[in-house]
Amino acid sequence: MAGFIDLYTEGNSFLHRMDPRVKIASVLLLSVLGFLLTRLYSLLLLLGLIFLLLFLARAGLGKTTLALKALLRVMILIVALWPIFDPSGTPVLASLGPVKITEPALWRGVTSAVRVGCLATVWYILMLTTSQRDMVRALVKLGLRFDFGLALSISLRFLPTFGLTIESIKDAQRARGLELDRGGVMRRARNYVAVLVPTIVSALRTAETLSLALQSRAYGARADRTYLHDLSMRRSDAVAIAAVVMILVVPAVMKYLLGYEL
Amino acid sequence: MIPRPLTDRGERVISIRDIKFTYENGPEALRGVNLDIRSGEYVALVGGNGSGKTTLAKHMNGLLRPSSGSVEVMGKPALDRTVAELSRIVGYAFQNPDHQLFCSTVDDELAFGPRNLKCPPEEVTRRVEFALDIMNLRDVRGEPPLSLSLGERRKVSLGSVIAMDPKVLILDEPTMGLDAVQSRELMATIRKLNDDGHTIILITHEMKLVAEHADRVIMMASGRTMLDADAKGAFTDLAILERCKLVPPPVSKLAHRLVERGVSKDILSPEELVFELMRLRGGP
Amino acid sequence: MQALKLRGVRFVHAGSQARALDGIDLDIAKGEFVTLLGANGSGKSTLCMLANGLVPHAVPGTFEGTAEVFGLDVSKYPVTVLATMVGMVFQEPESQLFCMSVEEEVAFGPENLAVPREEIAERVEWALSLVGMTGLNERSPSTLSGGEKQRVAIAAALSMRPSMLILDEPAYALDPVGRGDLYSMLRGLKDKLGMTVLLAEREAEDAAEFSDRLVLMERGKILRSGPPREVLSDPKMLDKIGLEPTQLGEVASLLEKRLPGKRFSFLSVDEAEVAIVQEVLSGRGGVRG
Repeated sequence: MAGFIDLYTEGNSFLHRMDPRVKIASVLLLSVLGFLLTRLYSLLLLLGLIFLLLFLARAGLGKTTLALKALLRVMILIVALWPIFDPSGTPVLASLGPVKITEPALWRGVTSAVRVGCLATVWYILMLTTSQRDMVRALVKLGLRFDFGLALSISLRFLPTFGLTIESIKDAQRARGLELDRGGVMRRARNYVAVLVPTIVSALRTAETLSLALQSRAYGARADRTYLHDLSMRRSDAVAIAAVVMILVVPAVMKYLLGYEL
Repeated sequence: MIPRPLTDRGERVISIRDIKFTYENGPEALRGVNLDIRSGEYVALVGGNGSGKTTLAKHMNGLLRPSSGSVEVMGKPALDRTVAELSRIVGYAFQNPDHQLFCSTVDDELAFGPRNLKCPPEEVTRRVEFALDIMNLRDVRGEPPLSLSLGERRKVSLGSVIAMDPKVLILDEPTMGLDAVQSRELMATIRKLNDDGHTIILITHEMKLVAEHADRVIMMASGRTMLDADAKGAFTDLAILERCKLVPPPVSKLAHRLVERGVSKDILSPEELVFELMRLRGGP
Repeated sequence: MQALKLRGVRFVHAGSQARALDGIDLDIAKGEFVTLLGANGSGKSTLCMLANGLVPHAVPGTFEGTAEVFGLDVSKYPVTVLATMVGMVFQEPESQLFCMSVEEEVAFGPENLAVPREEIAERVEWALSLVGMTGLNERSPSTLSGGEKQRVAIAAALSMRPSMLILDEPAYALDPVGRGDLYSMLRGLKDKLGMTVLLAEREAEDAAEFSDRLVLMERGKILRSGPPREVLSDPKMLDKIGLEPTQLGEVASLLEKRLPGKRFSFLSVDEAEVAIVQEVLSGRGGVRG
C-alpha cells in the first residue's frame, strides 16, 4: 500500500543530488510551461526534454516502465474520448448519431494527451528522485511551519504501519465469520464498521502515546530549534534553477511580448 | 454446547502436508511444513519472531493459502472453503484484542460471531450465555468492551471466538500484558476448554507457560519445524531452543548446569528440581 | 539533592474513581538503579510519568503532594524543562518512534533543545554506540525489529543527555531473546554511565539481578522498598502484589524448608549453581556414579 505513496528510488544522478527546493520549483515552472504551450510540436519537444530528464535519473526501471504503461493508457483514453465531447471543426471523419468525430478534435485530443503526459511525467520524476524526508524539509524551508511539516512527516511515516494494522484487523474479523467482499453496498458498508472502529481506536491509542513521546523529547521547548541536516544550495543548483527559469521565460516572452504562437 | 465425547479424540482435525508460503514482496515464510493436529490435543506452537509460527497458524483457518502443499480441515481440503466457513471449525483469537472489539456491549460482541454464522436467535443467545459463563464476564455484559481493562478485553475477545463453538481454538499470546492473577485465571479457563474437548493451539514464546500447560510442543525457526515432541522432551535440547530463539525457564537452565551432578535435563518446575536435589543429596 | 523526591503524592486520573497514586513517599538518590515492581493498575506507570512531568501536565487528573526532580518542583515546571533532565522510554516500540530514519529520531531531542549542529552529530553517534546501533543511521524505523526499535528509543532519550532515564516496561512487546538482550544492554549502560535509572516492570526475574533497589507497588501504594535480595527473600511478597514468583526464589525457599538452618538467596542462575553445588550437593555423594 505504501508503494503508491513512496515512489522514491535511491540513486546517484544529478537529479537525486539536486536541492529538493530547486526540484519543486522546477517542476512547478515546467508545469506552467506545459499550460503555456499550445502547439502540438512544442509540447512534443517539452515531452522529449522531460523524457531525457527521466532517462538521466537512472533509477527504478521496473517501476518506471509500469508507470509509463499506465500513463500511456490514460493518454490513449484522452485521445479516444476527446472528440466525443468536442464535436466542432471539419473535416468530419465519422459520425454515429449525435457523436461526431472530427479531425481537428482528434488533434486537440492528442495535444491534451501530450500535455497530460508532460505534467504527469515531470511530477513522477520529482517523486522518483526525492525522498519523503527531503520533500518535507524543502517545504519547511520554503516557509511551511515546522509543526505542519512534522505533522506531515509523521503521517507519512505511519502510513505503512496503519496499512498493516488494517490488514490485521480485517483478518481478525474475517476469522469471526465476517465476509467483507459479499453483499450489496449497504451490507458492505455495515460490515466495514467492524473494521473501521478498531482502526480508529488503534489510531487514537497511537496518537496518545505519540503525544507523550513528543513531549518527553522536549518538542516545542525552544522556538529557535536547530537542525542536524540542513538544506544548502550549491552552484549546480543555482545553475539548474537558472536554466529552468530560462526555459520558461524565453517562450513566455516570445508568446506574450513578441506574439509568436507556441 | 456439550463437551465432546472421548471417542472423538484422536481423529485428525488439521492435516498439513508440505506447505510452502511466501509473503508478497517478502521472504519465504514457510519452507515445507508437515504436521497433524488431533482432536483434543493441547499444542504449543513456539518460536521467535519471524519463525513462521503465526504464518502457519493463519493457514489453519484459511486466512492464508499455501503456495504449494495442502491443508485439510476435518478431512476436507481447506481450499474448498471460505474463511467464514472454516471459522465454524477453527477459531482464532488474535494477539491484540483491540483489533477485534468494536461493539457497544460485551453481549453484542459475543453475539457477533454466531450472527455471522447465521445462527437462529435462540442459538445465538445460548452461545452468548455459555461464553459469558465460561469467561466469567457476566458482571460486565452490558459494558462497552473498549472501556474495559486489558485483562477483561482479552476475555471478551476470546469469549467472542468461543461463542462460535469451534472445534479448534488458536490462541495467539493470550497472556501478553496480563499479570500473574489474570494470567492464571485465563490459562485455567483454557485448560477447562481443553478438558471439555476443544483442541487448543497456543502460540507463545513464554516457555514457562508451555512447560506448565502443553502436552505437545512444535518448535519453529526460519519457516521449518525444528522439533515436534511432547512437552518434556522440548526442554532437553538447549541447542534447538537457542536456534529457535527461545529461552528456557530459569529452573530448566539451572537443571542443565547441574547435569554433571546427576540432575536430569527435563526438569521444568522448582518443586521437581528441589525434589531431585534432595534425592541426589541422599538424605531424608 | 535527590534525583527524585516524592512526599504524600496522590493522583487520580480524570474520569476515574480509584487513586492511581495513593500517598507515595519515595526517595531516589543520584546514580541509583531502581526497579518498580507491580501488577497492572499498581500505579507504576503513573509514577514514571510523574518523574518527567507528564503527570500532572499532560495527563489530566487531580494531583496532590510534592514531587521534586533534581530539586525542581514538578508541578511548577513544564514538561519541556523537565525533559532536559529526564529521558523517557515507553513500552510500545512502534508508537514512540515517529521520524523517518533512526538518525532523525535520535537527533530530534537535541534539535528541540537548540543544541549546535556539530554537537548533535556527536551525540547521535555516542547514543547509537551505547545501544549497539551504530551504522544504522539511515534505516527507517518500520524496518527494525521490536528490540532494535526499543534500542533506538533509548538512544533517542540518551542523546538529550538526561540525568535520569525512565523506562516503562521496555521489554513488554519483545520476545524472550529480545528481552534478554535489552536487559544486558541496560546493565551495560548502568556500568558505563552511572546514570540514575527508574525501571517499571511486571516481572521480577530480569531486573532483580542488577537493580540497586526494588520498590513493590500495589494499588497506588508502596509496600516494600529495599535491596533485591532483601525484598525477594519473602516469596509471598510477590504473590501478594499479584506478580509471578521468581522461579529461583521458589527454589531458594523450598531448599530452606527442606534444609532447615541453611539460608538460600540467589538472584541469577550463576549464583544458584554455585550455591547449590556448595551447600546442597557437596560432600554428600552428589557426584554421579
